Amino acid sequence: MAEIMLQGQGLIKEYGQPIPSRVLHGIDIDINTGEFLALVGRSGSGKSTLLNIIGALDRPTAGKVIIDGTDLYSLGEDELAYFRNQTLGFIFQFHFLLPQFTVFENVLIPYLIYHGRAGSPVVKQAEELLERVGLAHRRDNRANAISGGEQQRAAVARALINQPRLVLADEPTGNLDSKSGENVFALMREINRDLHTTFIMVTHDSLLANRTDRIVELRDGLVLCDQSPVIIE
Amino acid sequence: MRGFRFELQLASRFLLENRNQTILILLGIAVGVGVMVFLSALIDGLQADLIKKTVGNSPHIIITREVAEPLRNPAEPDGFFPIQIQRRGSRPVVEWIELTNTLKEEPQFTAVVPVLDGPALLRSGSASGSVALRGMKLEEADKIYQVSDKIIAGSPELAPGTLLVGSELAEQLDLQPGNTLTMEIPGKQPVSVLVGGIFDLGVQNLNKRWVIMERNRVAYLLGLQDRVTEIEIQVKDVFQAEELARTWANRLPGYQVESWQETNASLLTALRSQSNSSYTIQLFVLLAVTLGISSVLAINAVQKTREIGILKAIGIRTRSIERVFIIQGALLGTGGALAGTLLGLGLARLFILFGSEGYQLSLLLKPATLAIVMTLTILASVFAAFLPARRVARMNPIEVIRNG
Repeated sequence: MAEIMLQGQGLIKEYGQPIPSRVLHGIDIDINTGEFLALVGRSGSGKSTLLNIIGALDRPTAGKVIIDGTDLYSLGEDELAYFRNQTLGFIFQFHFLLPQFTVFENVLIPYLIYHGRAGSPVVKQAEELLERVGLAHRRDNRANAISGGEQQRAAVARALINQPRLVLADEPTGNLDSKSGENVFALMREINRDLHTTFIMVTHDSLLANRTDRIVELRDGLVLCDQSPVIIE
Repeated sequence: MRGFRFELQLASRFLLENRNQTILILLGIAVGVGVMVFLSALIDGLQADLIKKTVGNSPHIIITREVAEPLRNPAEPDGFFPIQIQRRGSRPVVEWIELTNTLKEEPQFTAVVPVLDGPALLRSGSASGSVALRGMKLEEADKIYQVSDKIIAGSPELAPGTLLVGSELAEQLDLQPGNTLTMEIPGKQPVSVLVGGIFDLGVQNLNKRWVIMERNRVAYLLGLQDRVTEIEIQVKDVFQAEELARTWANRLPGYQVESWQETNASLLTALRSQSNSSYTIQLFVLLAVTLGISSVLAINAVQKTREIGILKAIGIRTRSIERVFIIQGALLGTGGALAGTLLGLGLARLFILFGSEGYQLSLLLKPATLAIVMTLTILASVFAAFLPARRVARMNPIEVIRNG
């Protein structure tokens, strides 16, 4: 019943010019549609690098990423940008809303980048998303005039506006207090369940990781273990 | 290009966010453009004035006979007429009536005046002065020289035997209207003439040398019968004179057709170098404006690193980001150019109101100049945006995501 949506094959990543240092040592990973996966590991284990490669942000030194049949790194820069915009959603640790825009406008930005103007179906969808993340009352506030937790919830709404197949979250609760963090995580889980959107989340928080479907632990650029959380517990 | 709408929105939001910075650079551009506009108006005004003074009351084109062929003197059937006309070594124009009629058909010519001139000597008592005797019909001479309006004593009439003399000459020979004096033409018997009026043409040389007499009378005195030495022309647009002279030179073989530009080559060279130094100043102003915009946008780009990183992560194309910065440059340039034009106009107005006491000063603001200044400013602004745009657009979003 599980359908593979993402395949990472032999992913190697090296940084540095004269003496390259290898961050990923050849990672193979398959991710199923609708899965909520936690990517864990110490800092320097390569988990963020892997997330960036999966997220079409960073070309691997070797290896392939195939998402829904598309070999990502066979695409040019512009096609890759378009792919990120259409197929992927991003939630970052540092929120990163654009302070020049309102909360509502921020949610629409991924759509506006390629369409310029939002028609009423998209506007309606953005309003529903804001409702869902509990920010309907903050709609017309400036993005930097709301709290950190609210900003991250707005970022979740923004990640979802183009109805992505896969959402990538890099320490989404890392910069939030525990109550706001819990809020944001619950929201992501709920969207995963309701919309069947695939989530890959990098986290330090093992309690949070234990509440996902699958935990992949990296160490020194290799997959250390790949299990369901029940076993780790 | 649907994304352009968003790029425009982003560019204007970026500019609005740093309002003080934006206002400062707009002021900077405006001052630069204001100086350019004002300087152009000043230089163009001065030059237009000078050209008007130079060619306003003088012929723009002079047609003379080119070939020095000896003319048969009708008075002496078998002899040769002694050539005495020294002006540009020209020879009498024989077929002038036909030629004048042809020239009058040219719509660009506003005045076509046949003139017969030659050297003469005026004696009044013991004083004497060598003069240029100008044979013209008064109503025709008025079309170029407005002689009738410039009579300061006596009357503007050219009765037989009377002449009009210039103010300097009148002073030199102590002449009053009504005085009689003796005129000697080389090779002819001296004749007695009457001073009918004294003119002041506003040019010292003419006031000193010119003596105007009825053309037929001069022809008789010179023994030239029905001939003229040159045809003087004024044209609608003085700057067309050179081109028109060239065209007519081709149509009139055997004639020399000379425009004021050729006669006043050194004046034009002076004006051109004045323009060039004005352009040089303007070029440096433009350069300063460009550098200003470029540095402001470079700072802006650094300030917006986070935004650009996140936009790239969520799929904006590199070229879109470049355009966002180029749009910012264009917006600053356009706004600054508009404000600067107003500033320049205001400066010009103030200058006319307060700055020109005691001397006549005219500013000339050509729409073409305005258009050029504005276009150049906007182009320079776009150009200024290129470098920061390129650099920031190439940024790797991962840097931002990783470091916050």
